[in-house]
Amino acid sequence: MLSPERLALPDYDYLAQRHVLTYMEDAVCQLLENKEDISQYGIARFFTEYFNSVCQGTHILFREFSFIQATPHNRASFLRAFWRCFRTVGKNGDLLTMKEYHCLLQLLCPDFPLELTQKAARIVLMDDAMDCLMSFSDFLFAFQIQFYYSEFLESVAAIYQDLLSGKNPNTVIVPTSSSGQHRQRPAVGEASLPEGVEASLFSQCLENLCDRHKYSCPPPALVKEVLSNVQRLTFYGFLMALSKHHGINQALGALPDRGDLMHDPAMDEELERL
Amino acid sequence: MSSLSAFGDSSIQTPSKSRIRQGCHSAGPNVSGDHINLVSSSMPSFPILQRSSEEKILYSDRLTLERQKLTVCPVIDGEEHLRLLNFQHNFITRIQNISNLQRLIFLDLYDNQIEEISGLSTLRSLRVLLLGKNRIKKISNLENLKSLDVLDLHGNQITKIENVNHLCALRVLNLARNLLSHVDNLTGLDSLTELNLRHNQITFVRDVDNLPCLQRLFLSFNNISNFESVCCLADSASLSDITFDGNPIAQESWYKHTVLQNMMQLRQLDMKRVTEEERRMASLVAKKEEEKKRESHKQSLLKEKKRLTINNVARKWDLQQHRVTSIATNQDRKDTDSPSQDSCQMDGSTISAFPEETGPLDPVLTNALQGLSVTDTHLVEVEGDTLSLYGSGALESLDRNWSVQTAGMVTTVSFTFIEFDEIVQVLPKLKMKFPNSLHLKFKETNLVMLQQFNALAQLRRIDQLTIDPQGNPVVNFTLWKYYVLFRLSHFSMQKINGTEVTQNDMIMAERLFGILAHVASSELPQYRVISILGDARKKQFRYLQETKGKKPGIVNEENNDSKRLVGENTNRAMLNYTTRDFYNEKLEEIKEKKKFCQMYIEDLVKEATEINKKNEALQKLWPQMFIELVRDAVIEIRSKNSYMKLCLQQITDQK
Repeated sequence: MLSPERLALPDYDYLAQRHVLTYMEDAVCQLLENKEDISQYGIARFFTEYFNSVCQGTHILFREFSFIQATPHNRASFLRAFWRCFRTVGKNGDLLTMKEYHCLLQLLCPDFPLELTQKAARIVLMDDAMDCLMSFSDFLFAFQIQFYYSEFLESVAAIYQDLLSGKNPNTVIVPTSSSGQHRQRPAVGEASLPEGVEASLFSQCLENLCDRHKYSCPPPALVKEVLSNVQRLTFYGFLMALSKHHGINQALGALPDRGDLMHDPAMDEELERL
Repeated sequence: MSSLSAFGDSSIQTPSKSRIRQGCHSAGPNVSGDHINLVSSSMPSFPILQRSSEEKILYSDRLTLERQKLTVCPVIDGEEHLRLLNFQHNFITRIQNISNLQRLIFLDLYDNQIEEISGLSTLRSLRVLLLGKNRIKKISNLENLKSLDVLDLHGNQITKIENVNHLCALRVLNLARNLLSHVDNLTGLDSLTELNLRHNQITFVRDVDNLPCLQRLFLSFNNISNFESVCCLADSASLSDITFDGNPIAQESWYKHTVLQNMMQLRQLDMKRVTEEERRMASLVAKKEEEKKRESHKQSLLKEKKRLTINNVARKWDLQQHRVTSIATNQDRKDTDSPSQDSCQMDGSTISAFPEETGPLDPVLTNALQGLSVTDTHLVEVEGDTLSLYGSGALESLDRNWSVQTAGMVTTVSFTFIEFDEIVQVLPKLKMKFPNSLHLKFKETNLVMLQQFNALAQLRRIDQLTIDPQGNPVVNFTLWKYYVLFRLSHFSMQKINGTEVTQNDMIMAERLFGILAHVASSELPQYRVISILGDARKKQFRYLQETKGKKPGIVNEENNDSKRLVGENTNRAMLNYTTRDFYNEKLEEIKEKKKFCQMYIEDLVKEATEINKKNEALQKLWPQMFIELVRDAVIEIRSKNSYMKLCLQQITDQK
């Protein structure tokens, strides 16, 4: 526990990195809000329960969006909670619209913003008709990328736009169509229609981004891996590739692999009991 | 006895039919047949009548020629003071050769073949003219018969009443068995007391009120089907005897009453005396009908008002939803700014339950009559077992003192054009005031999230739920029904949107959302559970406190209720719905606390880091300090004696 790296960081930085203060503030806030109820069974017990739930990832249930978004751990816990609660919907095979998924999200977080869900849907649908139905797994993985790495993705989008409009002096070709986001991800070798941006250039910019980024971002090695497979790609193509990548999913650690998505024996047992 | 032979043609034979028979029968004055001679005359086909002078003297004023097989009227000579003339049962086709009988008072031409009234212009003294059973097609040529008292034209082919307006002495007019289709043009018959119109095809009657003396009117066996077509009879003060039998009108159920009530002066109807009892019945029925008419008029006005109100509410709702951006928004704003009359429209069946409301109803009605353009902005309606609320203003009506009877009958509550979030706030009131409401209907209520259904869990019981797709986007979701069944499973709902809930539906609902409930209840830390439940209870408490007439008894009941609820469905009870406004309110409230917490933690952190720094600094300095400490101590103890003295000094100083 008292590893040297931990002690190497100056105090504030350490606190910030581990988001200790966030949890402390939240804990005290919760305490204040429910002091009548909590005073009945003791403050010590309250803190125990609180941090236990933080560890288990249940602390984000039915909390406001600002809290859920506050730390990566919260976000991951939320994703996991969403998966566990609504896995059965996916198992049932229902295809739902973006609005309905948003509704389900709202069951867990009443003020979850619609924009995030919309962005996630865009990844799945490649910015096509937004009323299309999506499968649970598609949506979930896209949503994971969008939600967990939202700030990172914003920066990526900015970079992409820059590349498209040719602001980067290193650009070789500047392909343009009216909108930067196309439906199909150009297959390798389909160089007839220049869409999106060049992968290698893109990869370089992203590397720089990851280095200086404060927020969490996907492991740079894996990003590089994604980008090395193709010559050109569009923004949404890139995101879709991210969402489908096993390695990134595992690095996040919130959701199981795609193949195991519908399996949760512990929960199934519980369900049988009900 | 002389025969006129103007042309000297005596070869013309008299028709064989003119043979006189012995002892002919006649109703009129008897004339023995032998004394009558019909001699052939020089005038073509006109027999000449001659009577013996004895006859003439005996029956100087009357002459009967019935059943004489006459085809023409014979010339009657030397009988200038004849007063009664009888031509019954002959075959006469034209009235002729009687112009010289200027004293004639009684002329009977019953049962002949006369086709046209003519030849009477000189008979100014004629009082009785009997032309029944002929072939007359038109009433005419009666101009000079100003003294006519009785005119009998029954059994002819007359289609129209005309040319009788000058007969001011006429008392009896018989037009039975003709081809009349209507009755009018009766002006001028100032003495008419009896008018017989039986067996015609009459459909309507007019002008009878212009007959000041008419007492008896016979309309049997015609084609009168409603009282409006004979309404002029009501205005006739003189009528005392009337018949309608054989008309379609007489078959109607309201026939007798209507006739009696419109003709209070009648003494006989259809040849039967009108009793006092019948008259009373008639007026009673009349009153009832009048009331019914008024009632239905009122009903239709109310319906119209209701329709307009609903339209107005709908328009306002559309504007609110920003669906309609009309140029006339200014006008609409003016409408909605007008003081919204909180009017309660109720069906006739429930009026008795609201005695305090019948008062203002009439002014409401008059207002409605004046200007249906000034409409209300909401509508509350109770019809039997359904309570319908339109527009958000209608929710206030739940505060009213509903009678136990009415409230108990209500099993269906329907909400239209009201935001669901607003409805949520009044659900506790609804639960209290309408305990038997089992079926809820929502239309245009902005149901957009599954979460909103959580709010319905606080009700006592719901058997049926109807969510109209119009204005409720939530219905577009695939899973909405299952979610409802899952969240409200403790109600054991039977129907959703008209379709029965099957066992499979329930199982599917559990399967889809069961984990959610499990997670919500078992994985939340205890303090969260308590706080969420506490929140819900606090909210209900608050709603109750806002209603009038808060009684401690009810409050306790509420506590028991919610406790029971908790016991039944702990795992679902976690799933609550807070309306957006309340949620934001709560978040605002928390902001203060958050700020404080932040500051507090900052302080703690500062303290902690300071202590940490100090600790670190201490760690760094400690070796040096330790050495110095030891060095100081060793230097101190170097000279034993001086050290002993120092210590003793210190001890004494301490004291």
